[in-house]
Amino acid sequence: MIETLLLVLVCIIIGGLLSSLAVHLMPVGGAPAAMATATGIATGCVMLMTGAAVTGLFTASTVASFWVTKPNVILVALSGAVGSMLMIGFTMFVGNLIYIFGAGIVPCSGRVAVDPITKDSQTEYKTPRTDGHGVPTASFVSGILGGFSGGFGGALIYVVLVSDSYAHFSVATAGIVAMGIFIANAIIAAYNIGGTIEGFHDPKFKARIRTGLTCSLIVSVLCGVIIVIAMLTGTLAGGVM
Amino acid sequence: MGEEEVKQEEKEIKEKPKEKFKLSFDYFNESRLGIFALIIGIIVAIFPGLPAFIKGIGMMIVLLWGADSVRKTARYGLGTGVPSIGVLAMGFGIVGGITGIAVASLSFGTLVVGGVEIAFGVLAGVALLALLGFVSGNLANGDKFINMKIPGLERGMTELGIAGTLAVLIETSIISGTYAITNVLPNAINNGVIAVIFIISAFAMLQPLNTCLGADERRGRTLLMSIEIGGIASIILGLVTTLTLSAVQGVPLIVLGAVVWVVFYRAYMKACLEEAYAVKGTGLIKTLGG
Repeated sequence: MIETLLLVLVCIIIGGLLSSLAVHLMPVGGAPAAMATATGIATGCVMLMTGAAVTGLFTASTVASFWVTKPNVILVALSGAVGSMLMIGFTMFVGNLIYIFGAGIVPCSGRVAVDPITKDSQTEYKTPRTDGHGVPTASFVSGILGGFSGGFGGALIYVVLVSDSYAHFSVATAGIVAMGIFIANAIIAAYNIGGTIEGFHDPKFKARIRTGLTCSLIVSVLCGVIIVIAMLTGTLAGGVM
Repeated sequence: MGEEEVKQEEKEIKEKPKEKFKLSFDYFNESRLGIFALIIGIIVAIFPGLPAFIKGIGMMIVLLWGADSVRKTARYGLGTGVPSIGVLAMGFGIVGGITGIAVASLSFGTLVVGGVEIAFGVLAGVALLALLGFVSGNLANGDKFINMKIPGLERGMTELGIAGTLAVLIETSIISGTYAITNVLPNAINNGVIAVIFIISAFAMLQPLNTCLGADERRGRTLLMSIEIGGIASIILGLVTTLTLSAVQGVPLIVLGAVVWVVFYRAYMKACLEEAYAVKGTGLIKTLGG
């Protein structure tokens, strides 16, 4: 019993840390990106990441229903990661289509002079007095990595909550609780970013990731303890939450 | 036409005596509204046997408090947008609500005194989420961590945690009529109503400031919109309650919601029209006169 509780707690903490990391990896443009004057997708961190993570939860819950009892934790978590990666990939791809063919801009980074993946020079393509445009290659790869990390984290929380060998919540309870924990972590990370970020190559990433993960650890531990209390009491009261 | 005019007149007569109180919120400043809503929210939350109508009023007061806390927190520009704050409140609320319901369905979580259920257990969820909100507010504002330097962020986040949890608890108790987990699960969670609860409560908290945000934002006007969305939430919950419990519980809630919606929508529009420098109607909304 104690091992199960500890395992659920640890999985919630790992999931929370991964979701915080995911938000830091997103190419977030915020309001300036809506006018193509900043790199990234034109919305806030939380909205972008929640969309991806909820898609991941859908694929994870579908895959988890393939097993009658005891779903395979790693497979379900990976399927959540794949769903999340697909969603964020489509978002960035369609965003780029609109930026390139609709607004007529060249995707380029505003924070680094050379793209760390393709080694292409960026500064020539940046319009003066803007902060980059569109989703360049490095940001795209970073976003896909973020989708993997966030989807894996969210689905990991979901699967340990839904699995009958661990917490044994009902599908709906597990889904909504996984989303609640995910959102709490994503918003602390968004506070930490404070506006826009391009991805792992952004200097902001290196400067702030440690603080973000520390805060996420504290919030995840608290959320995990609260959920373990719910699990203990729920099991005593009715068997299945 | 004649009937409509009479109806319009009736509404205006009904509205006029209350208008001064509604538009000002002077007495209920931020602290007084918080204390008032906390007490009302806790009283409504721990008595799951109350009629849905009264719980609906309690829910609106709690959502109003949530909207006020979002206003307090998001006024300074967080860099993440106002909607994320409302969603944060409900993310906290879902975690706390589930825990509160689980504790309340234990044998010591609910006392029965003279046939009246008193679910003290839900307060465990509220207290834990107050702690979580306070800690995350400190993390966001503390010198050693994110250091956002926003005045009152700790208090705002604590209030958001409490208001979100109380909203989830009250709405669950409206729909299922009790906190027993065997009843709550089929009525409020497994059929997906919890997702509706999540988003309507988040909207009642985030939408007012998100709409009214700007240089001339006035607290009284912003909060009118929260009550209006509380009315819409009551209508939706009333429909669900009619299906899960009975029409006796559900229909009064729908009527309450409809009345609140109409009255406060009109009050909000009036406040906007009066306080605007100039208004030019496009003809889409009849109140603007085309």
